Amino acid sequence: MTGDINPTLHTAALAAAEAALNRALELAPAASAALTALEDDVFALHCTAPAVDIYLQPQGNNVRLMGMYDGPITTSIRGEASDFASLATASDPAAALINGNLELHGDSAPLIELQRVLSQLDVDWEAPLVGALGDVAGHQLAEMLRNAFAWGKQASASFGRQLEEFIHEEARLSPPRLELEDFYRDVQALSLRVERLESRSARLRARLRQRAGH
Amino acid sequence: MSEKDTTHFGYKEVDKNAKAGMVADVFHSVASRYDLMNDLMSAGIHRIWKRFTIELSGVRKGNAVLDIAGGTGDLAAKFSRIVGPEGRVVLADINDSMLQVGRDKLLDTGHQGNIEFVQADAQFLPFPDESFDCITIAFGLRNVTEKDLALRSMLRVLKPGGRLLVLEFSKPQSELLSKAYDTYSFRVLPFMGKLVANDSESYQYLAESIRVHPDQETLKGMMEDAGFNTVEFHNMTGGVVALHKGIKA
Repeated sequence: MTGDINPTLHTAALAAAEAALNRALELAPAASAALTALEDDVFALHCTAPAVDIYLQPQGNNVRLMGMYDGPITTSIRGEASDFASLATASDPAAALINGNLELHGDSAPLIELQRVLSQLDVDWEAPLVGALGDVAGHQLAEMLRNAFAWGKQASASFGRQLEEFIHEEARLSPPRLELEDFYRDVQALSLRVERLESRSARLRARLRQRAGH
Repeated sequence: MSEKDTTHFGYKEVDKNAKAGMVADVFHSVASRYDLMNDLMSAGIHRIWKRFTIELSGVRKGNAVLDIAGGTGDLAAKFSRIVGPEGRVVLADINDSMLQVGRDKLLDTGHQGNIEFVQADAQFLPFPDESFDCITIAFGLRNVTEKDLALRSMLRVLKPGGRLLVLEFSKPQSELLSKAYDTYSFRVLPFMGKLVANDSESYQYLAESIRVHPDQETLKGMMEDAGFNTVEFHNMTGGVVALHKGIKA
């Protein structure tokens, strides 16, 4: 029998998401071309909260989204929706995978490549707008959209930078990344030294016991 | 006429030998407007049901797929893309009008090279044993005269480990939905058939044939009796449609 989710609704939602994603890919030829390298890889995304499984398979210049897949999986990841959102928006997906709460099985390299392709989706609005509105109006509207997106991206990056600087340097709410990594290295070195000391003292104790025995 | 020699044609009891011809007449009549009527009748939901069927089929690149009663080729078109040039898709239908419409549609949309079109009776499939990785029959089994014979024929041409998927109208799971569905089927459906395809009788037959088709558990039992293993079904849209899956051991 069926699982918890109504197959009709689940399939309908995936069909809509697939259509939207493929439309965006059609308008982003670079991303679309990069996807062909991942053709036939299958990514299983098992979301635990809300409980939903999605299988993603690049096919040619498109992506296929499925609710069920019965075949070999390249990479399987399990976690909550928020963990998937963090991975999708991460600037360093490898670090997000290592430090995040996602459970990963299989090959991580194709997944990192897929994340890179989809997160850097550069949609060209001009072609559909020119098709619908004509050369002049379409080009001008596309230019406006491009500027608005570029400004938005720049503003968000700049805000992010300033916020980071405030947190790390001004308010000292959290140590900067490099300082933290340095601290972790020191902790690791200390832990190794303690381990060595522990084994040395164990060796000495054993030797003392040996002598006391004689 | 003895009881053994008759079968259902909607609510009517007809001679077994006559049913195929009568079903053929229905589909000759609706073939040219089949896709439009499907979209109107199901509000487009038949595409979701078929999409789920493809997901459950597990068909992969290089597979051989048989789509029986393939009609206008909705499933065959998707399978053709999935199996790629090294795979094979056979679109089979007993009705030459439907096959013609399906073939024209697929060729016009650029699906070629890995698709074959075969006019065939599901009860006597003209293929060697163990030829296919997957067989689908969507909204076709209820029109077959001897369903057991057809299921055994499908089992024969499946490869070991291959799967059969039967997508068919079934029994709604709630009383309320069942009543609404009855009103829709016997009042609205023939009216829409009259309006769009100028043929209310064919759509009256459609509604009746759904009611006399085996329900979920009965069809599951029939598949098991035919020799399929690990038979399961998924209800969709409250049981209006069910997708049965069986594996050949």
